[in-house]
Amino acid sequence: MIRNIIGKEILENLLSLRFMLSLLLIILLFATGGFMFVGKHRQESNDYWRDTNRNLSSLREQTNHLYELVTFRQVVWRRPKPLSLCAEGFENTLPDRFSFDPFTWDLPEVRSSSNFLLPHFSDIDWVFTISLIVSFVALLLTYDSICGEKQTGTLRLMLAGSIPRHKVLLGKYLGAMLTIGIPLVSGLMISLIVVVSYRAFEFETGQLFKILAIVLLSFLYLSIFILSGIFISSQSHKPASSMVVLLLVWVGLVILIPSFGRIIAGTFNKIPARVDMEKRVAEAIKQIREDSEKFGPGAGSWNSYNDNPPAAAKLYDAQVNARNAIMDEYLRQMVDQAYTGRYFTCISPAIIYQRASETIAGVGVHRVANLCQQIKRYQESLKEYIRSRDAGDSDSLHLLFQFPSDWIAENWHAISDERVDFDSVPKFQERDLALGQSLKLAIWDIGLLALFNLVFFAAAFVSFLKYDVR
Amino acid sequence: MMWNSRQNNCSAYLYKKERQPDMILKIARTELLLNLMTFKFAVGTIVCVVLMAVFMPMLVNDYQQRLKDCNQNVAANDAELRSVKVYKNITPTVYRKPSVLSVFSEGLEKRLGNSAKIEPESVPQINMSVTADNPFLSIFPSLDVSLIFKIVLSLLVLLFAYDAISGEREQGTLKLIMSSGLPRYHFLLGKIVAGLITLTIPVTIAFIIGLLILEFSPMVDLTGSDWFRIGLIYFGSLVFISAMYNIGLFFSALAKESAISLMLALLFWVVSVVVIPNASMRLATQIQPLQSREKIESEIASSMNNIKTIERPKIFRQLAHSTRGMCNVHEGAFGRSYVAMLTRSEVEYRVNFYVLYNSVLIKYADKIWEIEHGYMNGLLKQKELAENVSRISPISLYGNVMSAMSGSDLAGFQDFIDGAKTYRSQVFGYIRTKTDNLSSPSYMTQCTEEEMREYEAKHKQVNNTRNEAEKKKADEAFYKWVKDTIKKQPTLGLQDLPMFSYQSSVLSGLRRVALDLGLLMFINVLFLALSFIAFVRYDVRSN
Repeated sequence: MIRNIIGKEILENLLSLRFMLSLLLIILLFATGGFMFVGKHRQESNDYWRDTNRNLSSLREQTNHLYELVTFRQVVWRRPKPLSLCAEGFENTLPDRFSFDPFTWDLPEVRSSSNFLLPHFSDIDWVFTISLIVSFVALLLTYDSICGEKQTGTLRLMLAGSIPRHKVLLGKYLGAMLTIGIPLVSGLMISLIVVVSYRAFEFETGQLFKILAIVLLSFLYLSIFILSGIFISSQSHKPASSMVVLLLVWVGLVILIPSFGRIIAGTFNKIPARVDMEKRVAEAIKQIREDSEKFGPGAGSWNSYNDNPPAAAKLYDAQVNARNAIMDEYLRQMVDQAYTGRYFTCISPAIIYQRASETIAGVGVHRVANLCQQIKRYQESLKEYIRSRDAGDSDSLHLLFQFPSDWIAENWHAISDERVDFDSVPKFQERDLALGQSLKLAIWDIGLLALFNLVFFAAAFVSFLKYDVR
Repeated sequence: MMWNSRQNNCSAYLYKKERQPDMILKIARTELLLNLMTFKFAVGTIVCVVLMAVFMPMLVNDYQQRLKDCNQNVAANDAELRSVKVYKNITPTVYRKPSVLSVFSEGLEKRLGNSAKIEPESVPQINMSVTADNPFLSIFPSLDVSLIFKIVLSLLVLLFAYDAISGEREQGTLKLIMSSGLPRYHFLLGKIVAGLITLTIPVTIAFIIGLLILEFSPMVDLTGSDWFRIGLIYFGSLVFISAMYNIGLFFSALAKESAISLMLALLFWVVSVVVIPNASMRLATQIQPLQSREKIESEIASSMNNIKTIERPKIFRQLAHSTRGMCNVHEGAFGRSYVAMLTRSEVEYRVNFYVLYNSVLIKYADKIWEIEHGYMNGLLKQKELAENVSRISPISLYGNVMSAMSGSDLAGFQDFIDGAKTYRSQVFGYIRTKTDNLSSPSYMTQCTEEEMREYEAKHKQVNNTRNEAEKKKADEAFYKWVKDTIKKQPTLGLQDLPMFSYQSSVLSGLRRVALDLGLLMFINVLFLALSFIAFVRYDVRSN
């Protein structure tokens, strides 16, 4: 019997005007998104490889003497990801340029290649289309599922038979899910076909599983809207009033609440301005330099015949540590501020869905923060490498610290000046999380989405059982 | 008989004439009362009021913070100006006061630089804000009153309009009304009047609440022109809701069932709120790609380098034959160096050097500005294209009106930059008149003739000392004298330095919104006509 209801629901939906219009809109958006992604990804990959190769070739030039590796500032860029087809994670406006030497790093910057006169806008990625448009279509499909049938009188007819109400409800729910699945899956397929046919890149197996996970997540997200549509529909007696309520809920959840993030983050988690942080760094360094004698006589003297290089090394280490501590703290504050906005706006399933798919696709704020951590680990391995190379040189003082200049390193013999083999120098490479790890990170969000589903299902169930079908 | 029938006709005509507006009013009144008692009116009004009451204080707070920062910057700049000792160092920074109406529409307020440096080596240009806050917050869209209005109000309007005709048909009341011989356009007009009056209520309440919060917040000072702008924003909002209402009415007259007209209206809404603004920007970035920023930056860097590698050596060659003396260069106001002390023989060389160098700097500043300007034009073209495409959506039109009236649009910043450019030439003119076209030594030093002679004499004295110990002592005494003398040199005061001000007139704002406001009005008329046509052909029978 359930199968009959599902079949009837799907047929009815498929023949309706709203379905046709939504199908057109959704497919159009997915196709446009796919085409735009292909062009953008190609451009970004070119830029990325050009910049990365430039960095590597400059690194190669630094291998004449070991100490050059200590003073060389590398610049690495965020790698464009194929999965940003699914979730772009606002990476257009997130920092993508990271510069560092083995000891210090600068705050990540945003490459200013985009037009700063245009307001920030999101790419038409899957998450954008699904969280805004398909969720809306889900409401369009279900707002009259109960009260509409009541109005036409068919609900009374159907329940006059011996079908239990919960079967009707399940049939309606599954029917709507399958109906929404048609534009969704065809849209996704079109988008994938566009990308694959342009040979923008090759998908690896891991990525295919991630895509699958995002698709499942999308169904979980849309199911919330379908259930809430059925719930509100079984709460009201006229389709029009059910639509009004659903619309207000939708606008609140999908459009308004996400835009409150910034102002909430700014109000509840104020962080010092960047200039203030820079002032603090300058102040700390000045303080250390003033007390330079604490590190040993002549620590602050930077001429070539400094007779106490270990003291100078200690002084410089203290400066670097002070700077790094403040910078680490500031970066953490910045990321935390963004997270605060996200936490507060978590009452919206759209935000949860956005965050979960970002996590699975490995993009967004979390990825950038993670990239900073990876860079710090790379700095350690680079230092370790320099130390191990330096250990073999008996002429060197084995004083590894951030030299103010190559000249100091050379004249003091602080560390070895031997040539190094470029191939043996560790190079930075961003590592993606495996599917299991990203799912583990997204588990809370998935749980929340499931909870939303459960709540709305229970609500729809109870209210439909009590519904007056007359 | 004939007369009688004529009189009858006549009285019927008169009667009709009398009744026409009466009937429209009657319909409007009934509709209004019906509307006011609906669930959607209550919910819509409450949502508008609550959003305004909650977010206005936050937005005002944000404005106050920016104003405070701006005031601090201006005060620091003034303090620095007071410490200027030579005309060469007059390189103040001018700041754009944040626009108080940016609470209504944020526009570009936080994205563009709010300051311009007045110096020979650069011409003010619209630039990206360098003090931009946390880049990680860019994952959230910006929020202002216009967003709330654009989204909540437009939706509310469509919710009111969608069943105006199809709903009446469904209930069977449309057939009833039409059977009384009432012309269809009367009915339509009645509906429009009632709908607009109903919708004006939440808008007005939200506006009043917002303005009360704004007016009674500390540090907020609304001027007459601000009130005029607010009035225009209010007017624009009314035109906008009327346009949306007419669109909703059209959809209502298009479909037989209210559910279908609602769906059509909503799809239209989603496309205008979400799809068009995003797609137009995407489209513009595809059609009108930008020049590579890297190329521009390298061109600018090479220009800057030319000053160092070509122009400066050229000046040195030109001045190679001048006699040289001694000088003592210090860091002065605005972090710029100046000649604190010099010998008489050095003066001519220095004056000539600065005249030549200044002209080189100005020449290169213009050159760099040209390069930047070429790039800016690309950005502008892209933005214009995006704006023009998005003008299909009435919601974008309304957004444009809001940001233009709030002074947070690009033109508002252009006014500031133009003002800064004018101020730059004013400051240069001031320096030129004060320093006799840069030829007076006061351009670069405060050192008097007497001090120059003393400086030279004392220096000679030190040099002539033979004994090492004595020489060291003399040297110390000499430097102490130099230090003291420099300290004693007075600051310029600069009481008569022109003050920076720029005009951002309401009139130019009006000119900017004319197109968007005009288009909104056109949409009003167009959809009114369309709904009239659709309604005239409407089948009023209910099933």
